[in-house]
Amino acid sequence: MSPSDYKILSKRFDRPDGHLLSVYEADGGYKALRMALTSLKPKEIRDVVKDAGLRGRGGAGFPTGVKWGFVPEGSEEVYFFVNADESEPGTFKDRYLLDYDPHQTLEGTIISCFAVQAKLAFIYIRGEFGWLVDRVQAAVDEAYAAGYLGKNILGSGFDLEVIVHKGAGAYICGEETGLINSVEGLKGQPKIKPPFPAVSGFLDKPTIVNNVESVASVPYIINYGAEAYKKFGTEKSCGTKLWSVSGPVKKPGVYEIPLGMAFREFFHDYLGGMVDGEELKAVIVGGSSVPVLPAAEIMNCNLDYESLANAGTMLGSGGMIVIPQSSDMVELIQVLMHFYFDESCGQCTPCREGTGWLHKIVKKLRRGEGTAADIDLLGHVCDGMAGLTICPLADAAVMPMRSFIDKFRPEFEALIQETAPAEPVSRWPRGEQE
Amino acid sequence: MAKLTIDGKEIEVPDGSSLFDACRDARGEDLPHFCYHPDLSIAGVCRLCQVEVEGMPKLTIACNTGVRDGMVVHTRNERVTKASTQILEMHLINHPVDCPICDQAGECGLQNQYMSHGLYDTKVEMDDKVHKGKAQVIGPHVILDQERCVLCTRCVRFCTEVTGTGELGIFNRGDQARIGTAPGVELDNNYSMNTVDICPVGALTSRDFRFQKRVWMLKAADSICPGCATGCNVRIDHEAGRIYRLKPRYNPEVNGRWMCDKGRMTYKAVHDETRLGDPSVDGRTETWAGVTGTLANLVGAGGFGLVVGSPHQSLEELHLLKALAKDAPLSGGLAGSDHGDADDLLLDADRTPNRRGLEMLGVAQHDGPALADLIKRSSGPVLILGGDPAADPQVAAALGEKDSVIYIGTHGDETAGLAKVVIPGAMWAEKAGIFVNRNGRLQEFKQAVARHGNAREDWRILAELMTACERPDVPGSLKAVRSDLAGAVAVDVDLNKLPVRGFLPGGEAR
Repeated sequence: MSPSDYKILSKRFDRPDGHLLSVYEADGGYKALRMALTSLKPKEIRDVVKDAGLRGRGGAGFPTGVKWGFVPEGSEEVYFFVNADESEPGTFKDRYLLDYDPHQTLEGTIISCFAVQAKLAFIYIRGEFGWLVDRVQAAVDEAYAAGYLGKNILGSGFDLEVIVHKGAGAYICGEETGLINSVEGLKGQPKIKPPFPAVSGFLDKPTIVNNVESVASVPYIINYGAEAYKKFGTEKSCGTKLWSVSGPVKKPGVYEIPLGMAFREFFHDYLGGMVDGEELKAVIVGGSSVPVLPAAEIMNCNLDYESLANAGTMLGSGGMIVIPQSSDMVELIQVLMHFYFDESCGQCTPCREGTGWLHKIVKKLRRGEGTAADIDLLGHVCDGMAGLTICPLADAAVMPMRSFIDKFRPEFEALIQETAPAEPVSRWPRGEQE
Repeated sequence: MAKLTIDGKEIEVPDGSSLFDACRDARGEDLPHFCYHPDLSIAGVCRLCQVEVEGMPKLTIACNTGVRDGMVVHTRNERVTKASTQILEMHLINHPVDCPICDQAGECGLQNQYMSHGLYDTKVEMDDKVHKGKAQVIGPHVILDQERCVLCTRCVRFCTEVTGTGELGIFNRGDQARIGTAPGVELDNNYSMNTVDICPVGALTSRDFRFQKRVWMLKAADSICPGCATGCNVRIDHEAGRIYRLKPRYNPEVNGRWMCDKGRMTYKAVHDETRLGDPSVDGRTETWAGVTGTLANLVGAGGFGLVVGSPHQSLEELHLLKALAKDAPLSGGLAGSDHGDADDLLLDADRTPNRRGLEMLGVAQHDGPALADLIKRSSGPVLILGGDPAADPQVAAALGEKDSVIYIGTHGDETAGLAKVVIPGAMWAEKAGIFVNRNGRLQEFKQAVARHGNAREDWRILAELMTACERPDVPGSLKAVRSDLAGAVAVDVDLNKLPVRGFLPGGEAR
């Protein structure tokens, strides 16, 4: 296959007019919608998406069709959210989808809503992406005018309203229940689970939240079927994936490739390798929240869910951060720890206090005031955060922190003082209390 | 019913129970927690009540987990203990640890949990701590220290879910998150001090109690709030004859776990400087022996010309008063006195604790003109027990024309100013008794502190008056009064052994 064969999502990225309805329609757009509404039942759509093996592209990788199946049968009031609060550091694929080809996502949204019988959908756009709101709103307006939205869409009897919602700019609102809270007018912080949104979400009604890229993949699956989609990728990682690549490679940017491609091939053939004078040191492959892999390890990986999991990291959002030898890993982790500290919503204690603590310890190390005990303390703080909170933000901070120490400990040790730290002395010896 | 195994112990609980409650039943004590509160929604933010459920890969918080038949749960194994210790450490890293100057010390969740499953050495240097607002006055009764706060959100949920007033919120995020009020908003509702009760740490403290007493020095007595007809169950915290605060005492049939701010302040009257400490005759201070002589001259076998009670007195006292009146006209005092605004939570418009007690004994109340008329038409001494009826000008005028008025009161009020003989009675916290609340529930209050000055329990004073009137069967103890009372009101309960949640004749009406 040549690269153009597996351009499912990015087909119109190069066209200056790809955002227009006329262009999208001329390219076969909204055919899938017509087919879905006139000849398929909601359950058939859910099944074909499940059979296609489409996994959530926001980061967690949960099968999209399975998630849709969690909406209780016969629910009267269902809501659908397209999660375009793309704020994972290193990730910038969804904004390409909405900027260059909004109708593809919109068509996927309408089909998805039909599949779960939602009558109202929100497209939740990250606050910092101001221009995208206008771009997507224009597409929505075109779709209303063309009869793809509103009452009795294409004569099928199915009604759908779409609201374009602009977030206020918070990483945590990309977490699906934080996003719902935010639209409800509440503080942008995740809701406690259970109940899960598919059962009780927006206004306590069944709610599906899907990533832009997941939704955008739906029209292709409807048009060509599950088998056609599964031709791309591996057994457990089906289809194509957008990768947003940053760092000193020759050709950074957004790439669509089938899942399962060897990193080595992608790195050399697509990214063109490192810029002259730089050498590859490490890669954070799936957005800043996943463990870092040193060059030697990533070079043996394939870019799919299972092979990256085997290597001890995650595919995540596909936000690939390429790190050169010239980078100071402790400085990088300080930037990341500041990010998670700054973005913690603060409701769960381990995350609220832990992210700030990690940031302080890393800063202390970089000031040259740290001790060997501080490196161990970083691990200790991580232990008190991982898996213990409502949402995965604490884990998102812990995974890079732990992996940076694991893989690049000498760089941390190089910063500590020569003198051995004194044994901590308790002011209230244990013996007196017990 | 669901069968669970918790820490190796089999336990059966109703379907739909919370795992948090099931763990308490199995362990005999609560799981570590700050945010969970039985009367508030689940927040799940303190993360302390982590337990291991076999078959689930991650630890889970018990407060947001329902029980399932066959569940096998561990609450004390190494994994759980390590997690809860580490989470407690997170709660404490930015805490100022200013226990020596904190009113919560001694009843603090952080202190208690540190002692039960913390006991690690601190890893944070003092300079590294996050600093937030200190000693912020956020309302008429409550003061906030944001640094001591663990952000459990109980107070926020209380103001949202219980009072519906919504004054409190969390501002900012991450480790800058803090409890606060919006600009121009005060935590000023009838129930604001409940936030102090439910605050597990020293973040919200009572402006009234602040810096008054270390809590471990306080003794407690079970009592009933005398502030209105609701009869909230309270605990009187006192030391060396002084009351420091009232706290609500759990009674699901009456007040749950709450009480109003007005009720909390009722103890102030006990230590008021106008309290009557000695008997007096014609304005002269007398000894008890002296006043007994005066009463013997004033009152004889003929008894009284009029007897006036009040809904502030206990059921036992009103019963004795009724016996003392015998054939003389008897009034329950001023109808419609002591009323104020009501709310739909606890506070009743009737600000007396025992108007239903008067009804139960069949003692009618009178409005000002009617009571003045009764006084004018009376021949013989007038006995008034509490209630300050002379606060009504017509009653005051009528009393002014009588020269043998005997007043058993607690404060130097209008009636005390008009009476020939003033006898110092005890306030509710200084004696035991029964109030009947607005629903007809009989509730017992116990003595907390010693009586002011030379004041005496009212039933003893009434018993002495019975002796002066040469009545038979003068009771020798409160117990005897209650036994007699039980026959008179025909309730199916031993009044000397009232249940801790009180007794509602005819059963629980809901």
